[in-house]
Amino acid sequence: MESKSNCYLYLNGKAIGYVEDPVKFVNEVRAARRKGQISGEVNIAYVERIKEIRINTDRGRLRKPYIIVENGKSKLTHEMLEKLKKKEINFGYLLRSGVLEYLDAEEEENAFVAFSEDQINERTTHIEFDLSALFGLTLNTLPFPEHNALARHAMSANFIKQAEGLYATNFNTRFDSRAYLLFYPQMPMVTTAAYEAVNLKSHASGQNFVVAVSTYYGYNMADALVVNKAAIDRGVGRSVFYKSYVDEERRYPGGQRDRFRMPSPVAEGYMGEHTYAKLSEDGIVEPEMAVEEGDAIIGKVAPPRFLEENIGAGGLEEKTRDDSVMLKAGENGVIDSVVFTETTGATRIVKVRVRSLRIPEKGDKFASRHGQKGVLALIVNQEDMPFTSDGIIPDLLLNPHSIPTRLTFGHLLEMIAGKAGALSGKQVDGTSFGESGKNRLEVYEKEIEAHGFDRHGDDTLYDGITGRPFKAKIFTGVVYYNRLYHMVSNKIQVRSRGKVQILTHQPTEGKARQGALRFGEMERDALIGHGASLLLKERMLDQSDKTTVLICKECGNMGYYDYIKRTPVCLLDGTTNLEEVEISYAFKVLLDEIKSMHIMPRIRLSE
Amino acid sequence: MAESKNNGFDKKYRVHYGEPIGMLAAQSIGEPGTQMILRTFHYAGIEATIATSGLPRIVELVDAKKKPATPITQIYLEPGIKRNFEKVEAVARKINEVKMSSIVRRAIENFSKGTIKLILSKQAVEAAEMTPAQVASKLAKAMDLEVKSQDYEVLIKLKTKNLKEVRNTTVKVMKKVIQGIEGAGKALIQQDKNGDFYIIAAGNRIEDIINVEGVDKSKLYTNDVFAMYRLFGVEAARNTLANELMKTLDEQKIDVDRRHLLLVADAMTYSGDIKGVGRHGLSGMKNSVFARAAYEETAKHLVNAATFGEVDPMRGVTENILVGKQIPLGTGSVRLAIRKSEMKKIRTEKEE
Repeated sequence: MESKSNCYLYLNGKAIGYVEDPVKFVNEVRAARRKGQISGEVNIAYVERIKEIRINTDRGRLRKPYIIVENGKSKLTHEMLEKLKKKEINFGYLLRSGVLEYLDAEEEENAFVAFSEDQINERTTHIEFDLSALFGLTLNTLPFPEHNALARHAMSANFIKQAEGLYATNFNTRFDSRAYLLFYPQMPMVTTAAYEAVNLKSHASGQNFVVAVSTYYGYNMADALVVNKAAIDRGVGRSVFYKSYVDEERRYPGGQRDRFRMPSPVAEGYMGEHTYAKLSEDGIVEPEMAVEEGDAIIGKVAPPRFLEENIGAGGLEEKTRDDSVMLKAGENGVIDSVVFTETTGATRIVKVRVRSLRIPEKGDKFASRHGQKGVLALIVNQEDMPFTSDGIIPDLLLNPHSIPTRLTFGHLLEMIAGKAGALSGKQVDGTSFGESGKNRLEVYEKEIEAHGFDRHGDDTLYDGITGRPFKAKIFTGVVYYNRLYHMVSNKIQVRSRGKVQILTHQPTEGKARQGALRFGEMERDALIGHGASLLLKERMLDQSDKTTVLICKECGNMGYYDYIKRTPVCLLDGTTNLEEVEISYAFKVLLDEIKSMHIMPRIRLSE
Repeated sequence: MAESKNNGFDKKYRVHYGEPIGMLAAQSIGEPGTQMILRTFHYAGIEATIATSGLPRIVELVDAKKKPATPITQIYLEPGIKRNFEKVEAVARKINEVKMSSIVRRAIENFSKGTIKLILSKQAVEAAEMTPAQVASKLAKAMDLEVKSQDYEVLIKLKTKNLKEVRNTTVKVMKKVIQGIEGAGKALIQQDKNGDFYIIAAGNRIEDIINVEGVDKSKLYTNDVFAMYRLFGVEAARNTLANELMKTLDEQKIDVDRRHLLLVADAMTYSGDIKGVGRHGLSGMKNSVFARAAYEETAKHLVNAATFGEVDPMRGVTENILVGKQIPLGTGSVRLAIRKSEMKKIRTEKEE
């Protein structure tokens, strides 16, 4: 250890020896790698501080390509670039010929990377391909990512996952359990190199909105959005929602099986004629049939749950049970397509796809590519929207308060760039670090000015209601917005009376079970705080699980009513001195459970 | 409180019968409490003055933790000396805890001779305003040892040469408090707005500090609720509790009416000792089996109730909601009273 030159050598984290002259050794290994004598997947790093050499050859390391610089000169020459353009050579050739190499996180610590060729000095070992390579692929599909806070990128990535678009070009033959399809997907006005490279534009997930950063009578407070009705009518944000239902003719032990057909009125659980009205002769709905909640779309009968002795029935008809698939509560649409096929087990299955139109409505969610989400709160008639003297009417009004605290300046830049692109009819490049920020802005501003608009993107807007110009000039531009698949129509639920749970007799929970909204602990506390004892009782008992039980006045146990003798009877001592008491059913269950543990609870009644 | 003078509280703000004050207090503290930040900012300053604050401190107080994480004692001095810095310093020296380990630079044990040589740090000894001879004599008296001093060296001669005993003695000597009060911590002198000096000590030894000459016994205060309880009684503990809650909330700029905090402090101390809020304290003291079972350790409470034949008086909120009765609070606190004879009359009329 005390020796000056001795340096430990690790291979994939295991010490395998030591090296006399670490710098020479490392350089030799690197030279060999660049010559192709050893694999390009080997990375070597010298940690001078603790005198260690680390060679890594194992999997799972994050690696990134760099252009090699030797003796102050980039190994990637202009001739090579020309050949690359002519496609005479490719990336792999450059890797093999020692022009490029991959570095991992550890070896990168030894490298001195210049941002561009003119920044090379005597210490430089590598050049960055492009400044945008500082970000990953995901971030580089977003415009101007270097102008936004990182937290917003994380949100943005989430939103794009949820965006409706053209998710697959064979959507017509697919039976995804849920699928959303945007009517008129557009390529973004502002693209990036990575966006083009991964061909995202052929699976676009949004539309270019004309946006004005303005308030509208308080209707776009706190991330609410105001949208132009005419824009929606022209197809902005319009999409279709596909939902597929699948059912199978199951086989049961004993040779019985399910059958797709119209259930007979004598089948167990028959729901009434109108439920099955839309089924055709084969028991399945026809395509292009409009269906509503509760309608049967796949008619199926199953054998009865319990084996019965069919003696005496005369062998007239086999007993069946209705097991049809109904459209769920709150759903409606048109049958898009029906497919019969078979499973590997040779049972028939049927898939039915229901299509329903989703025109943007109040409560639907939209987001730009900068983590700026919002909920549609008002649809304004075109004539009431603000407009410019040219007659441009924004599709969307974004509240100005959503920008400063969130530090999403990329959103504003995209507005300007999008406007420049829209005016000149060309897509704009928004790749990160493309040109230094100020220059880039100047280019857009010149473009906008050339088309006779205010160079900063501020337009004079006129109030659609009064016709008077607003005192302030309003920033307008074009932004790529995604419609996200969270829509009120899939989430809305109401109930006044409804189902209860079997165990507790309390109302059910959740939309799927047509449940009620929970009157929770904190809501309870609020009523206690107000001293509203009767309202509290109504919520917790009368509207929930109220039951009347008979309690024996002598022993405090529950009794029953003997309808023949017309008298209440105590189960324990057989007396008839009982009183009707209103308690919650949950409490009755509690008492029953306590009794099941051999503990006798008694209720003492008092006047 | 309401019986005495107005106390700044107007009569019309008195609560009515049946008002759920506990619920109101809980919500009034709980709601702004959600805004409290877990990690609090500290003043860059003296180590000893950094006290637990924010949510951890509230939890500590409300749970009635026996040992607070950062006990601090505030010592005011008698009127005669509180403006005199030198005299205050003298008092502070009597309190400030100095351990041998902080003045010894090196301890050399000689196992063959059975001696321990302590080399003192000149700086530290002078800072404590002591001489090596004083250190030696105090050590000799306190630990019953043969101690000699020379320059800044102290030599301890033991009767034994046993290796283990020598080492044990060294450890004990290093832990010995040579000056001040054991457990009082570092004493710092501060000056208040009126120009009076007072001492802040990072400990909770008020039982010993109160006997130090020059200390104003009526103003002695520590943030350790249990220390206040031991020395001054429940009333003092209750006031300390309320004060500390208020101070912590004020630090976070959370404005809660002090009467809510007083109610919490009262509820925690009305039994004569300090009970925390929780299953071992207030909630565990509830009369109702159902209320206790609904809170925590359901099975335990039900089994116990069954074993001892417990009767639930059904007077609380939780148990009444559970069975589905009107709660005895607010509009439910009113009962109809009627004479038995009248009742009989009504009944006979009904039957006819």
